[in-house]
Amino acid sequence: MKQPWYSFLYVRSPIVKISLAIASLLLMIVLFLFMGLIEEQRMEAQTANWIGREIEKGAELYANNCYNCHGVDGKGLPGVAPALHSKYFFTQRLKDIGWTGSLHDYVALTVAAGRPSKVQSQWAVMMPTWSQRYGGPFRDDQVQAVTAFVLNWEEDALKQGTPDNPDPWQPFLDAPSKATAEEGAAPAAEVTPEPTGPRPPQELFVSMGCVGCHNLDQPQTPTNRGPVGPNLGNLHETAGTHGMDAFTYVHDSIVNPNAYIVEGYTAGIMPSNFAERMSEEEINALVEWLLDPNRQR
Amino acid sequence: MAVQPEIEKKSILQTVLDAADDVFTRLTAGIPAAEVRRMIRGEPPGRPNPRLKPHSEAFLLHIKPTYYHESVTRFTHTFRLGLLSTYLFFVETITGLILMIWYAPTPERAYADMIRLLSNVPFGQFMRDMHRLGAELMVAIVTLHMVRTYLTGSYKAPRQFTWFTGVILLVITLFLSFSGYLLPWDQLAFWAVTIGTSMAEAVPPAIVGETVNLLARGAPDIGANGLLRFYLLHVLFLPLLLFLFFFVHYYKVVHFGISLPSSEEEVGQDTANKVPADRRVYFLPDVMIDEASFLIGFTALMVLATTFFFSAPLESIANPQSTPLHTVAPWYFYWLQGLLKIADKTIAGVIIPGVLLVLLAAIPYLDRNPSRRARDRRVAIISGIVAGIVMIILSWMGTPYYAVQAAPAVEVVQELMPEEGAGLVREIGYKHLPLGVYDTREHPVTDDPEFNEVLHEFAAAIARYEEKDPTFNNAYGILKITQEQPNLKRITWEIYWVSPEGVEDRFIRTFFLHKDSLYWEQYGLKNFSFLRPATEE
Ligand code: HEM
Repeated sequence: MKQPWYSFLYVRSPIVKISLAIASLLLMIVLFLFMGLIEEQRMEAQTANWIGREIEKGAELYANNCYNCHGVDGKGLPGVAPALHSKYFFTQRLKDIGWTGSLHDYVALTVAAGRPSKVQSQWAVMMPTWSQRYGGPFRDDQVQAVTAFVLNWEEDALKQGTPDNPDPWQPFLDAPSKATAEEGAAPAAEVTPEPTGPRPPQELFVSMGCVGCHNLDQPQTPTNRGPVGPNLGNLHETAGTHGMDAFTYVHDSIVNPNAYIVEGYTAGIMPSNFAERMSEEEINALVEWLLDPNRQR
Repeated sequence: MAVQPEIEKKSILQTVLDAADDVFTRLTAGIPAAEVRRMIRGEPPGRPNPRLKPHSEAFLLHIKPTYYHESVTRFTHTFRLGLLSTYLFFVETITGLILMIWYAPTPERAYADMIRLLSNVPFGQFMRDMHRLGAELMVAIVTLHMVRTYLTGSYKAPRQFTWFTGVILLVITLFLSFSGYLLPWDQLAFWAVTIGTSMAEAVPPAIVGETVNLLARGAPDIGANGLLRFYLLHVLFLPLLLFLFFFVHYYKVVHFGISLPSSEEEVGQDTANKVPADRRVYFLPDVMIDEASFLIGFTALMVLATTFFFSAPLESIANPQSTPLHTVAPWYFYWLQGLLKIADKTIAGVIIPGVLLVLLAAIPYLDRNPSRRARDRRVAIISGIVAGIVMIILSWMGTPYYAVQAAPAVEVVQELMPEEGAGLVREIGYKHLPLGVYDTREHPVTDDPEFNEVLHEFAAAIARYEEKDPTFNNAYGILKITQEQPNLKRITWEIYWVSPEGVEDRFIRTFFLHKDSLYWEQYGLKNFSFLRPATEE
């Protein structure tokens, strides 16, 4: 029979076929040996990879959900929520509350269950419940991811305690620190270094912790009330309706918050020491900014 | 038989040799050692031909024909594609079974099990990559096998039913791949399968579609029930079905014989089963050696590819609340995705594929032309080629390059640092991202050539979209890289532009990148950077 023109390409000899098969087997053995040799390192790299990715995911969750109260850099906001990026937190907090488990478990548990009670709390807001198991928004893997992110501050936090890198923690009232001075976990006298010039209102609104309780975008209406502090979205419209001019009302509410409590809110929640922590100039700028209808973030 | 009289009759040595040959013959299911020697020397079989015995003795061999027609054993006649399809199913079964050891089909565990498999199981990643590669190859090879039988006209009488069972096998293969796709429970899997099953919902009338969708997903949305159902389909139901139809298919193949090259017989005749004695190629040993060496060679290539060039993807864990930008189906469903872009779900997702499938299965009954010669089949071959080209165009339309552009600023960031997967920035990694603020208007240049590449791409992408998109003017970008935590950098992309109305607008997207995280592409040289001793930062 006529063979096709490309028939010279066919491998016909069984010996050649068998030799090719043996060569292939040898190649596979070499490849498996190679993989076997680097397998240990590959698994280590993969392990580190997934921990790294978990921290990345946690960072994203933190940036979207936690920084409002615990601060952009995790150093907490005065009166709003405690510092996590803090040497005290990593070294002493568990001893003070008598927690026998690991810090990982403590963080994961606190994230998952929150602190949904205001009894004897020194903080303006309650820590919400985050886990879906208790009605929050996070899946289990997300609780783990934020926990991994928080714990990743450890290396930096342990370097704190020097004058130019103070530990930002504020004393907890629920469990006073039992640390001795030489353990280095005593609170820094003043959290924020003295400012050099007037700080812009946008920055103050975050660094003073206002952002933790007051929503800037939502309007305050009878059906849409801020849960902890009133919303400030429509402040320029409502501030003048309290029997004094808008500027005085807002100014007094910052300097002396308990003088006038909006109906439905409790006195004593908003910190009353803002006059000491901001200059008069800064407060005036902040008030003007808050009353600006076209406020820029 | 008693040993004593045996030894008395022959010598001890002869008795032992005979016993050894007996054992050997049992192991080879009927071929004595002397015959094996003749096989290896390429001598003709003894008479009566002992090489036929294993075909009646051994179960696995009784399925195989004892001899083939010389013309059909040529590589270019079948390209061994049917054999390869069968073999790949076998590879998938073995690797799949091994993967099952570390896998539990629940949303709480599936994804974590994948991570454990990759980072804690020796050769775990290899098994996973191999299984994934095998699955993609199987789809490709089965399709090519179909193309081959189409082009040689092998579906014509008497093989119509062989073709029909083949179409069923193709459908099962596609469903097998698709059901396996969901199991890693990552974003890629979740959204591809969500879109896929939502097509079932479009089956008219609504009550049927909803019921089918509900049955597949086990709930209105894919969740624990859906995962379990897909798992059972993937590891039990579909493989069993494929197994069954394979034997029907292969029985038909053997029964009719593989069709001869059309030039070797008269039009309308089928002489595949009448092989003249001088054209016979016996399975033992010739075809067996050929097939075995071919499969071993192919396996070696697969292992080589998995070692260096193929890594199964694993994206973020499935999140029903957030659809990633540009969700894509696996490549073998791009054509369907392309169709869905130009027609609505009922037409593109149900009616057209349904009609195509019926047409495909009915080809042997529609094509009444008795000739299998290409010369006589111009219409059939040209329509086949046209269908192939249409498929390729539709597939191209299924990729994100066609008609699903998000806003230019979003696309620019997606090009460099996609929401899921690797991208240039993650590929060069943490240590090539120096802290700082880089403004494309200032054409910044750093000491790191790999990072300069990123900056260059950033500016180039912005310029490209500026030219293409009239709503995107005077655009520039700022890339900020800051240290967020030990070993964790924050990467902020800011893009500013002016709309046609002269309004300034901006887009900001933040990502985090950890020092140890590795991101990889599915195809391409694998990342072996972990082999280098860690360099000082
Ligand atoms: C899992 C999928 C499949 C497997 C395992 C399989 C297996 C096989 C095998 C082993 C053969 C022997 C000849 C050869 O190697 O070419 C064969 C022949 C054949 N297959 Fe398939 N096949 C599959 C899918 C298909 C599909 C999708 C079609 C077409 C729609 C098809 C149509 C045919 C036909 C018509 C023949 C006879 C070829 C001839 O006699 O020349 N098969 N198949």
